[in-house]
Amino acid sequence: MRVLIRAILIPVIFILLFLFIDINQFTPKLGLDLQGGISVLLTAENEPELELLEQAVEIMRSRIEDFGDVQEPEISITGTKGVLVQLPGLTDQEKAIDAVGTTGLLSFRPVLSSSVDTGYSPAFIITNDPDNEGEVLTSVPEGVNEYTGISLNDEINTISYLLSDEGGFPVIYKLGPSKLTGADIENASAIVPENEWIVQLKFKENSSSKFTELTKQLAQELGEQRKLAIVLDGKVVSAPSISYEVDPNIGIDGGTAAITVGNSDSGEKANNLAVILRYGSLPVSFERSSIQKVSATLGENTLKIGVNAGLVGIVVVLLYLLSYYRLLGVLTILGLGTFGLAFYSILALLSEYQGFTLTLAGVAGIIVSIGLAADSYIVTFEKFKDELKLGRSYIYSAEKATKEAWRTILIADFVSLSAAMLLFILAIGPIKGFAISLGLATLIDLIYTRYYTRNALNLAVSVTNNPRLFFPIKRGEI
Amino acid sequence: MSKLFLGNTKIDFHKLSNRFYKIFIIEMIIFLSIILLTISGLLVLNLSIDFTGGTLYEVNNNSNVSTTDIEDIVNTLELNVTRYESLNEGDIYRFRTNEGSIDQENSVLTELSKFFNTPKDEIGFQRVGPTFGSEISKQGLRALIIFITFISLLISYRYEYKFAIIALIALLHDLLMCVCIYILISIEITPATIIAILTVLGYSLYDTVVIFDKLKDSSKKQKQTSISKDVLNSTFNEIIMRSINTSLTSIIPVLSLILVGNHLGLKGALSDFAIPLVIGMISGTYSSIFVTVPFLSRFLTK
Repeated sequence: MRVLIRAILIPVIFILLFLFIDINQFTPKLGLDLQGGISVLLTAENEPELELLEQAVEIMRSRIEDFGDVQEPEISITGTKGVLVQLPGLTDQEKAIDAVGTTGLLSFRPVLSSSVDTGYSPAFIITNDPDNEGEVLTSVPEGVNEYTGISLNDEINTISYLLSDEGGFPVIYKLGPSKLTGADIENASAIVPENEWIVQLKFKENSSSKFTELTKQLAQELGEQRKLAIVLDGKVVSAPSISYEVDPNIGIDGGTAAITVGNSDSGEKANNLAVILRYGSLPVSFERSSIQKVSATLGENTLKIGVNAGLVGIVVVLLYLLSYYRLLGVLTILGLGTFGLAFYSILALLSEYQGFTLTLAGVAGIIVSIGLAADSYIVTFEKFKDELKLGRSYIYSAEKATKEAWRTILIADFVSLSAAMLLFILAIGPIKGFAISLGLATLIDLIYTRYYTRNALNLAVSVTNNPRLFFPIKRGEI
Repeated sequence: MSKLFLGNTKIDFHKLSNRFYKIFIIEMIIFLSIILLTISGLLVLNLSIDFTGGTLYEVNNNSNVSTTDIEDIVNTLELNVTRYESLNEGDIYRFRTNEGSIDQENSVLTELSKFFNTPKDEIGFQRVGPTFGSEISKQGLRALIIFITFISLLISYRYEYKFAIIALIALLHDLLMCVCIYILISIEITPATIIAILTVLGYSLYDTVVIFDKLKDSSKKQKQTSISKDVLNSTFNEIIMRSINTSLTSIIPVLSLILVGNHLGLKGALSDFAIPLVIGMISGTYSSIFVTVPFLSRFLTK
């Protein structure tokens, strides 16, 4: 009885795990090559600091989220200078490339009016309805959304109506044509000179006079019109007001300016603004190393082949082992079957909690690992046979075989595992998925060899000592 | 048959080792001449755009265009087509072009979409910058060198440094076998191929290590410090069945990848992966007996 419980302990644990996964409806997330979509690999021109790469990733993520039609974009840093952007379900590559590749357009534009003054978007032109006394008609200029009152496209050389949610509440600004762009900026940095964070801005030498002219004009204004909007990719990121200390006849000269940001968030806002001013949107400039588009049908087909091939492969392997190892084959079926469930469950858990995605290479890794897992049984059973041949008892042979097989499998699996780990550490993109599958399979295999195969073999020899039930041989032949 | 099952076969591996050795030398000569022919440009290593840079379009042939018409479209495209091929008996066409601007790529997409009557969104598209391939190769090579050094040390520590050398010879044999078959049948080498080859190397070592372990066990059982002719013979006779079983159970799932893919009328990245794997696994099983035996006999048997 105790032998039986020990033998089925591991399979039962993994069956329970699988049921848990199934009830919670966790499934492995499919990679883009199995469901269709676009992936772009970007490589930074020189090796930037990790922090800058992380910032770039954040900015790309928010840009992609603006698309709306991408489910779960995945952006990750690979190696020291690569960023892998995966957009499952997306098929328009121009859009994808625009979103992640370009550094973005930064412009400085005078505020002409804003919704703070009017209470609604300055784009709305409100006239009395000639037909209905007391009613009003709302219209918008060309190129403006008639419901939101925001420009559809940001044309930097004409008047635009753009949204800002800088202060936590939305404001729509009417903006004049751009006077300066990101290209005019020499440097920007966030500092805290006294008790307030400021962003210090330095313009390039031949651009500083343009800035002086602009501030001269703005210093003559009051209220919202005194603001200078900083626009990035059609969105107002900040709209600081020109200080009342600025003389309208002189403007801000010397090619430098300081934007007071306040003190509420220990400089995070100031730092973000400085990054935007310095780099446009992306703090690093990238080369597009690789773009790959997989159509949804191709992805599905690939998955279909993978799953069917895996099933056919397992069934044939099991039939073979069953015909060769008989009773032990039955134990192998239980072992390999629950091995599969365990594999699936752990992949699903990794997807759920670690953002793992199952890619084509991962599927390939799984199929390869079928052979690896089956080999552990074969090594054990062959050693068992060798011991029997030396004339030892069934119980002793089982004990000895599992002990020796464990040593062999440990070192052989160690080779596999270190290959997987090395691939994982050094490889880029698709090879990682393969390494994870292979490494995981090796670990599960070790658990099974140690805690299942050994006990299962003990169980088998405690039930019967008939060689015909173990190998394709007759009683006298062993 | 039951002799084989029981490992009671009486093959004199030691005696055969000279013959195996000759076969090995002949193989090496063939491999080297194939590689020399490739270097001199008479044979071609078929590298995918991942290594050469460029753009790849894969389009379903919905308008049943014939092969002769394809020549015409190839010449009218905005970008220079370096190679094209038909898959699944002309159902799918794959075009490779030189690198171009986004506008040029778009114009090619539009043309292909019109020509094959396939929506633009359905056309498979892949673009690779010129540095990507060298990056992959560099990283792959680095991974390989670190892996081999590490494994050699491990085997030297666990068994003997001579074993490590033999394992590496077997490994080299499998690597050359894969590369040469690739050159000869001119299958495209993609990143999937690199993964497959790395897997094969892992598999080859795994197989060799299992055999070394068995050798060590047998010599210990027969209370000998070094491996003798008898130990060598008995070990390899006993291990044949395990080798056959293991290689069958490993190759069957991979083979089913190719067969299922063919049965469903689909080829793609998975068969890119499966084909080198099958070649490598067969080579790995072969080398773990036929390449290790002659060297074991030479190096170790006193």
